Amino acid sequence: MKTSLRRIAAALAASLAFSGIWMTWLVTDAASRYRNDPRNVRSQQAGYLPGAGRIITADRVIVAIDDSNGERQYPEGVAYAHIVGYDAASGRSGIEQSRYAALRVRDDGSITDWLLGLGDGGTRQPHDVVLTVHDPLQQVARDALGGKTGAVVVIDVATGAVFAYVSSPAYDPNQVVAGSLDPEESADATLDRAADRVLPPGSTFKVIVAAAALDVGANPDTPFTDSEEYLAPGAGSPIRNASDGFCSDGNTLTLTDALVVSCNTVFAALAVDLGGASVVGAARRAGFGTVIPWETGAARSSLTGADVLEADDGALAQTGIGERDVRVTPLLMALIASSIGNGGVAMQPFVVGAILTPSGDVIAQTEPAPFTRMFSSAVAADLRTMMTEVVTRGTGTAAQVDGLIVSGKTGTAEGSGGPHAWFIGIAGHDNPEIAIAVVVESGGSGGRVAAPIAAEVLKMWRDLSG
Amino acid sequence: MVALSAVITAAGTALVTATTSGTVTLDTFAAGAVHLGSFGGLLIAFRRWAPAASRLLLPIVSLITAVGSIEVFRIDPDLGRLQRWWLVLAAVIGIAAMRLLHRRGVKVLRRYRYLFLVASLGLLALPLLPSSLPLGGATVNGSRLWVRLSLDERTLSFQPGEAAKVLIVVFLASYLADRRRVLAEMPHSVGPLRLPEPRQLLPILLAFSIAFMVLVYQRDLGASLLLFLVFVMLLYVATARATYLVAGGLLAVGGAFAAATWFSHVAVRVEAWLHPFQDYATGGYQVAQGVFALAEAGLVGTGLGNGSPWLIPAASTDYVFIAIVEETGLAGGLALLAAYALLVTIGFGIALRANDSFRSLLAAGLTIVLAVQTLLIIGGVLRMLPLTGITLPFASYGGSSLLVNVLIIALLARVSHEERT
Repeated sequence: MKTSLRRIAAALAASLAFSGIWMTWLVTDAASRYRNDPRNVRSQQAGYLPGAGRIITADRVIVAIDDSNGERQYPEGVAYAHIVGYDAASGRSGIEQSRYAALRVRDDGSITDWLLGLGDGGTRQPHDVVLTVHDPLQQVARDALGGKTGAVVVIDVATGAVFAYVSSPAYDPNQVVAGSLDPEESADATLDRAADRVLPPGSTFKVIVAAAALDVGANPDTPFTDSEEYLAPGAGSPIRNASDGFCSDGNTLTLTDALVVSCNTVFAALAVDLGGASVVGAARRAGFGTVIPWETGAARSSLTGADVLEADDGALAQTGIGERDVRVTPLLMALIASSIGNGGVAMQPFVVGAILTPSGDVIAQTEPAPFTRMFSSAVAADLRTMMTEVVTRGTGTAAQVDGLIVSGKTGTAEGSGGPHAWFIGIAGHDNPEIAIAVVVESGGSGGRVAAPIAAEVLKMWRDLSG
Repeated sequence: MVALSAVITAAGTALVTATTSGTVTLDTFAAGAVHLGSFGGLLIAFRRWAPAASRLLLPIVSLITAVGSIEVFRIDPDLGRLQRWWLVLAAVIGIAAMRLLHRRGVKVLRRYRYLFLVASLGLLALPLLPSSLPLGGATVNGSRLWVRLSLDERTLSFQPGEAAKVLIVVFLASYLADRRRVLAEMPHSVGPLRLPEPRQLLPILLAFSIAFMVLVYQRDLGASLLLFLVFVMLLYVATARATYLVAGGLLAVGGAFAAATWFSHVAVRVEAWLHPFQDYATGGYQVAQGVFALAEAGLVGTGLGNGSPWLIPAASTDYVFIAIVEETGLAGGLALLAAYALLVTIGFGIALRANDSFRSLLAAGLTIVLAVQTLLIIGGVLRMLPLTGITLPFASYGGSSLLVNVLIIALLARVSHEERT
């Protein structure tokens, strides 16, 4: 008994000793990796040396830098306003806020800070934040919007890296720093329409309804009744097609054809057939109702609850065509598109690719991570094929780009100041490589207004990647 | 040493009040006086009724309690003040236990083992009583471990499972002392592994099912693991048969996999352990906050009162170790670990020197409880293991836990005394 007792005692004592070694490693590791984590509240209360690092794009364009007087400057002005934000006496926003700690040298006068300083080579230079945004894409997206109210989001489907992130109208952060523009009084310009504004998605939501149908056994060739109008049981007024007639020959059309011509009557009837639980379930899997993990925070997209829709076929029919209470951010629509191009899995979107020392040594690098599976891989493949048809011969022909396979879906959603124009899509040389979402508020038809904007951005991407 | 730890308590509390509110408050004297009174009383009782006992046992416990009470007060002054009352009560119960054992020695416990077994199972089941009864169960943080005694308007909550673990150790020590020769017989063999008669494996399966039931019905991962590990280790100590360690290890690993697959509350813990930063907004928040606190620690910490340990959920209970490390650094954390290692070493020393197998198993079992509990929670907050919500002995806030741990020390002291007289 004494031997076994000694063995247990030795094992437990060794475990305690190992805990000590482990703790020493963990404290060192945590200090180097998590002291400046944007989620670490402690970092915001700490003391810092004066001076902040630069914010630069993936192609090394400087978008934020301290000038020789230590004043913050934004050389690209309005172009990066909504993602980079500002660091002014009056307040901070965007990455200037979320990466405040990473851009600075922390010094509370503690021994830890002194030791970390030694590890840094004693230079104590602030680090640079490197974005995933490519300047030519950002600029072309902004130019293509041409001052119209709206947003463009471009995402790398395989990693979730954000290549362009534009909200319009914009503001000049230099003016905020100078004190000549009060962000509070310019809410229209400071609002981030890519992530903080929700709008009805209109017909782009038909992708979700189609996914719900594919989930329960439909296929792209399943025929549906072609009708001029659809009156849901108990509904007051019927739903009509955009063309005010039949979608096809007045007999039947396939699910693919219904998506190609964006046939309202088919999708309204389909939503009612599927039922509220099925449609809401598909939307939730695609990120509705979820907090999207995003650098500067994002509004939650939403739709009416399943229990309400189960009891109200009229509301369900309107939900099926992306109206009623369906509200979505352009960021989520871009993620939905990206997941279709990535076998059904949306990657976590990120815009900070790395933290570097001024001499270019990597301090931290963002590792791509899956966010959520939105569609099964089979459904994603079907959706992609159907959306390719939309661009080759349907409402999205204006998004065609020579040399690229583009798949997409247009949307024209009811808005009080005129319809909101939507386009979501994926494009690549052979396989999908990037995803895009474009919205122009009260801009008109998605196929005529939003799709051409997407085409211009995709052309630039083709030129850059070719 | 005891007087020194009281001075440390007072000084630490003074430092906390000074850094957080700018003045030294009356809490300083209250903390010092309560600590000195409680441990002074225990010391006198130990000297009087167990004069030959190890002289290091109580001072080590007094030091750990001092560090814990300072940090609990620092995280939440109200809890800190409440904990003082628990310390007084624990001292009273510890003194009473020493007085009772003085008369008849620990041997008397051996006779009532089945009473203890029934009592401990009853205590384990107590929280499952309907909450509507005057003495009923209560669910706190998703686990049903609490019993709430309602008298008129007032309620008193306690965790009977804490007491159950001591009673189970007493039962096991008594049972194994009688049966260890039989249990050690290994008539069959498969390769290098020797196997007992199948029916000899029944007790281990029974212990496993009890532990598993605690997990299922009370959702308490920590207590479940603690009970099972203590049982397996004690069985090994008693029989010196590695077969039991292997069987217990396999059951524990299998049970852990099954639990992580079947029970969402366990799966959430495992996920939070592996990927706290990916699940930051949901399950990983607490673990991530713990890592943020460690990121501040450095060599000597932020200084008492200068950190932000309250940002971690359950900082004064599960995460008190991390809170101490945040404010006193690696130096403080390693010193505390050393104190636990010393306590455990003393405990096993007592078990090794004990003059019969019951006393030896009793001391070993009680020490294993302290050691495994310390390892489970420190391993959990340091991300060596999934986090299981149990207290850090003598340091965490918690009345039931403190009472029972003082009782463990009283029993150890008594065994220590008896082996030298």
